[in-house]
Amino acid sequence: MLIEFRDIHKAFGSKKILRGLSMGVGKKEVFFIIGTSGVGKSVTIKHLIGLLRIDEGEIHFDGKRIDNLSEKHFYPIRKRIGMVFQHATLFDSMSLRENVALPLRKHQGMRPNQALGKADELLERVHMQDFIHSAPAALSDGMRKRAAIARTLAMEPQIVLFDEPTTGLDPVNARRIDRLIRELSDELGVTSIVVSHDLTSIFSIADRISFIYQGKAYKSGTRQEFECCDDAIVRQFISGDSHGPLETPGF
Amino acid sequence: MLGDRTISAAGRGTLFAWRELGGMTILAGQVLRALLPPRMDAPELLRNMYRMGNRSLPIIALTAFFVGGIMVIQAGVLVKQLNAAGLVGWGAGYAIFREVGPMLIALMFSGRVGSNNTAELATMTVTEQLDGLRALAIDPIPYLVVPRVVAMTVCLLCLTVLGNLIALYGGAFFAMVLLDLEFSTLYYSLVDNIHWLDFVHGAVKAAVFGASIAMTSCYFGISVRGGAVGVGKAVNAAVVAAAISIVMLDFLLTAVLP
Ligand SMILES: Nc1ncnc2c1ncn2[C@@H]1O[C@H](COP(=O)(O)OP(=O)(O)OP(=O)(O)O)[C@@H](O)[C@H]1O
Ligand SMILES: [Mg+2]
Repeated sequence: MLIEFRDIHKAFGSKKILRGLSMGVGKKEVFFIIGTSGVGKSVTIKHLIGLLRIDEGEIHFDGKRIDNLSEKHFYPIRKRIGMVFQHATLFDSMSLRENVALPLRKHQGMRPNQALGKADELLERVHMQDFIHSAPAALSDGMRKRAAIARTLAMEPQIVLFDEPTTGLDPVNARRIDRLIRELSDELGVTSIVVSHDLTSIFSIADRISFIYQGKAYKSGTRQEFECCDDAIVRQFISGDSHGPLETPGF
Repeated sequence: MLGDRTISAAGRGTLFAWRELGGMTILAGQVLRALLPPRMDAPELLRNMYRMGNRSLPIIALTAFFVGGIMVIQAGVLVKQLNAAGLVGWGAGYAIFREVGPMLIALMFSGRVGSNNTAELATMTVTEQLDGLRALAIDPIPYLVVPRVVAMTVCLLCLTVLGNLIALYGGAFFAMVLLDLEFSTLYYSLVDNIHWLDFVHGAVKAAVFGASIAMTSCYFGISVRGGAVGVGKAVNAAVVAAAISIVMLDFLLTAVLP
């Protein structure tokens, strides 16, 4: 396994979010994390790059334990594990191409003009070539998200964490992003961890899936195993039935 | 009882102040470490210098001009009573260089640039743009905070030097118009009596004020919690903290500097 979560616990104050979550992600896999809103999917993946710290348990990456590293030692890991946030987090003070050029300038040692040229290519990959000079604030959520994907890919990461990459996108652009994720894995050997509610994405590109429920990985398995799973809770989540045994926080 | 409540509120306030002071000290340490040797983003530095320095120039110039006028009008009474026209140039210059210039311009700068800086950093923090930077393996301290600290310190120093000169011109203008003094009287009164240390005294103050406005505004910006409401509170706290620190540092520096 390239990435392993072992018995992770995480609470915010008295609110226990993760309660013994364990799962593993293999090299070159497209791994989906699914679960109800507020269950702790975003929190889980933020632990991988040290934006949040776990309370108990261990996280291993590429054979090494990383959860106990200092902030400084997380920087090399962040160059290998890129993250696309749920809310794009583009920098307001820069245009889209400057946003995408920033990691190129900082990490690939490119000169400003060279970085901007490469940024334009990356934006074209997510079909944002007409908006390279726009400020993030002038764009829609879905457009910002695509630009954020381009910015993360500029890092040329070996692993990409996508937090709801297709939420807020129209079906055409959503399927384009799906294809991009699949191609990254098949052609460049990139491992992707995708948090998603988008059933179409899940059942078209996932290699394996983990369903988080009540702070644990309730069920993990391949796409086929999920399609014909007869567990009532998993079935209810997939079918989206409002009645059933599935308990959601807040209800 | 009211007494108890007052005491506990005062205690809470003190604890709060110490905690914020501790946080600021840690941030200052990180900034210093990033400055030795200087590692910072050049485009960010230039962008900040431009919008903090250049764009502040008009309002600083305008206020400085009238402040010079105020000094002269206040001195006017004395000039008439004591027939001390020969002291006006020196008096205005001494007060402007050492005290009024650095202090007033710092307060203006804090209101315009410091609060803007806090609001920007706080918004970036609550919208996860700071985490976004960290996720791109870019340390926010050298990338965001250090260029701002350097830009604010340098800009306030330059603005103060410029503002002082404009205040002197303002003073001279109003002295000629309102008090009927000759320009040469004012000029020689200033250059014959003013000491270069008076100028250095004010310049040191300006640099220290700039650094302290930068530290408070950056600290409250990046330590914000709780959405848009938090941003408002952070700006408020930063402006108050900057004003208090300017006055206290002014007291301290006036006491120790020659
Ligand atoms: N920094 C934080 N401080 C306090 N609580 C937090 C913090 N981050 C997340 N939480 C809480 O942790 C829980 C899980 O949040 P998380 O963002 O991981 O949900 P999610 O599974 O990604 O949901 P969604 O599908 O809606 O994005 C939520 O109840 C949230 O309120
Ligand atoms: Mg989420």
